[in-house]
Amino acid sequence: MATKNSRTERLATNDIPISGRRVAAALHAVARHRVLAVLVLLAIFPWLMPYKALAVDILLYGLFAMGFNLIFGYTGMLSFGHAAFFGTGAYATGIAMVHFNVPWFGAMALGLVIVAAVAAVIGLLATRTRGIYFAMVTLALGQLVYYAVYQMTELSGGENGLRGIQVSELSVLGVPVNLLDPVNKYYFMLAFIGPAIWVFSRILASPFGAVLEAIRENENRARACGYNVAQTKWVAFLLSGLFCGVAGSLSAIHLSIVPIESLHYHTSGLAVMMSLLGGMGTFFGPFIGAFVFLLLEDVITNITVHWQLFLGTLFVLFVLFLPKGIWGTLLERLGR
Amino acid sequence: MSTKDDQNGTDGNRTEDRHGLNRRDFIKTSALGMAAVAAGPWIGGFARAQDTIRIGFPVPLTGPYGSEAKEQAACAQIAIDEFNAAGGLDGRMAELLVRDDKLKPGEAAKRTLELIEKDGVDFVCGSLSASVQLAVNSVATERGIIYNSISQSDTINEASDFTKYTFHEAMNPHMTAGTAGDYAFSRNQGKKVAYLVADYAYGHEMMRGFKVAGEQYGMETVAEVIHPLAAQDFSTFLPRIMAAGPDILCLCNFGLDQLNSIKQAHSFGMKESMQLVAPALLYNQRLAGGPDVFEGVVGAANYHWTLEDSVATAKTFNDKYRERHDGAPPSDYGAYGYAGVGALLQAAKDAGTTRSDPVVEAMEALKYNLYKGPEYFRQCDHQAVQSVLVVESKPASAMRNEYDVFEVKEVREASESMLRSCEALGHKA
Repeated sequence: MATKNSRTERLATNDIPISGRRVAAALHAVARHRVLAVLVLLAIFPWLMPYKALAVDILLYGLFAMGFNLIFGYTGMLSFGHAAFFGTGAYATGIAMVHFNVPWFGAMALGLVIVAAVAAVIGLLATRTRGIYFAMVTLALGQLVYYAVYQMTELSGGENGLRGIQVSELSVLGVPVNLLDPVNKYYFMLAFIGPAIWVFSRILASPFGAVLEAIRENENRARACGYNVAQTKWVAFLLSGLFCGVAGSLSAIHLSIVPIESLHYHTSGLAVMMSLLGGMGTFFGPFIGAFVFLLLEDVITNITVHWQLFLGTLFVLFVLFLPKGIWGTLLERLGR
Repeated sequence: MSTKDDQNGTDGNRTEDRHGLNRRDFIKTSALGMAAVAAGPWIGGFARAQDTIRIGFPVPLTGPYGSEAKEQAACAQIAIDEFNAAGGLDGRMAELLVRDDKLKPGEAAKRTLELIEKDGVDFVCGSLSASVQLAVNSVATERGIIYNSISQSDTINEASDFTKYTFHEAMNPHMTAGTAGDYAFSRNQGKKVAYLVADYAYGHEMMRGFKVAGEQYGMETVAEVIHPLAAQDFSTFLPRIMAAGPDILCLCNFGLDQLNSIKQAHSFGMKESMQLVAPALLYNQRLAGGPDVFEGVVGAANYHWTLEDSVATAKTFNDKYRERHDGAPPSDYGAYGYAGVGALLQAAKDAGTTRSDPVVEAMEALKYNLYKGPEYFRQCDHQAVQSVLVVESKPASAMRNEYDVFEVKEVREASESMLRSCEALGHKA
């Protein structure tokens, strides 16, 4: 009885209306089964969007931002060079298919191997630095990859971009699937991104994930606790690059071209923006960021040519009033 | 106290707004309003009429080629209105869907996907950059949708990017730089040539076109200066060219780059010692730059409105444009928009359908004269064979009116000899 009384008392003094509490309970359940919740949402997602290609785009950029968030939000290192992994994934997969006639699955696997190599090298050089130096080194190395690919005109198409990556039909367990059908294409992408989300969640939940957050909170203390900080950062960088590489590789199949802009630092900036918009260091945040950014861009560009003005203003407002991003703020409000 | 009471308590205490609308209602109403606005793009997909002929038109409305892109869209709309006024295709009306590709190939690919998946377009026309048109071409033709490009590129003619659904209404750098070069090099102004090249595919393709044209005259390259796209300041590039002392300077750039480089070359006094040549001398940029800056610059063009003195269709097109734009005549790149959409609609009419394959056949058989004299699509690469104008910018004293900016020095009649051969492009003969 005493417990019940204190409970009622707590409820009575609590501001949150009953519906709010139900939402909180639901969100708690969602947080516990976050991968399942994301997958259920993503399964019906294309029907909530104006058109399917936009849903695919949000999926790809969501994964890109999520991979980026591993190093930015969870390890606390701001990289401006993640376009290098997105772009390398896209180009390596595309070039393997266009110039070497590798089947799509092999091309994707090859793409990931190359991304891993690039991420390992860049990571080795960049994770020795911290703070602003880390941002500058990743930016410089990212641009290095950009110009290298730009100059490889024979292979990459240079400024014209890589064209002719055509995966129009493939067979899944003997059943032919037409990838030009937007719905099929979406679920094809989800078949890769779903497991990637699960792996990502597992990484975060593992002791390794806890070390990452420890480094973010206090690098010296993590080192004093006996963790190999340098190696952990490098592995995190490599993993982060791999997730971005998967997103890039899939984007090559999605668009059937690889534009040179996919390696440009603007693309890196996009990942930063989406992570901040959705909430850095949160599991759903990057997807929410990609969703809000791309949807608004899509809707606003059809209304006015001054779309950048609107998105820029929105971004400033978010940084000023919701510094934790959309999802981060929501979690904070409900977690009180 | 139960939570329900708690709720009621707060409700009861809520003060009404002085204007009779309380805060919550206001929020609810505005949320509904915003939801309705935001739902627009979704509803649009369902509410469209089924039998309209839709033409997707991705062009870079934002970015350095914005003024050319807006012109293209305005002229394309004239072609649509003409088609509709003439009764359409057995009563089926046409509609133009303009989208901003932001001058980025990736964005253009996404916009083309949107046009095909959401809007269900029958044809795609447009773009204003080599890389962007290649992206649109890849996305549209893979889905069996005809794409008629209205922007210059040599690559789109080549076998690797060509599909049966690819058409190219615009001229290509080989034609324009070849013609402008041939004209300038043949006038015995000296053998030393310098190139100012915007660092992207189109810039390099133009330089290649000049060099091919220069071979027969024994021209000698004394400088190749590469500048980044959308450069503001050419003061570091131009002295290098002046130091090389060329007789002819070929400006292999476009849009604002062309304007800025000519402006600065003018202020450096470079026109005194060398002839400036631009493969696509732009009407819009000349209007923006003024007669003094451009005086004496020669170049090639697909169109200049004074062609109306000798070509009847040019007169018709100009008059329609003037009617809508307070008497101003259309620009060269705008005319591409008109011809690109016009050719597609003409072919659809000939084929009696909008299905891609019959329309491709009709396009291949098409002999059309929409704005500049006769044109047709070459069989092997679907390049529009058309006349090329050699123009020279007039001094202020020789202008009939503010729009009379170029003197048409020559009209080189439509001929396949201006194009690279089908074999050279990798097509089977």
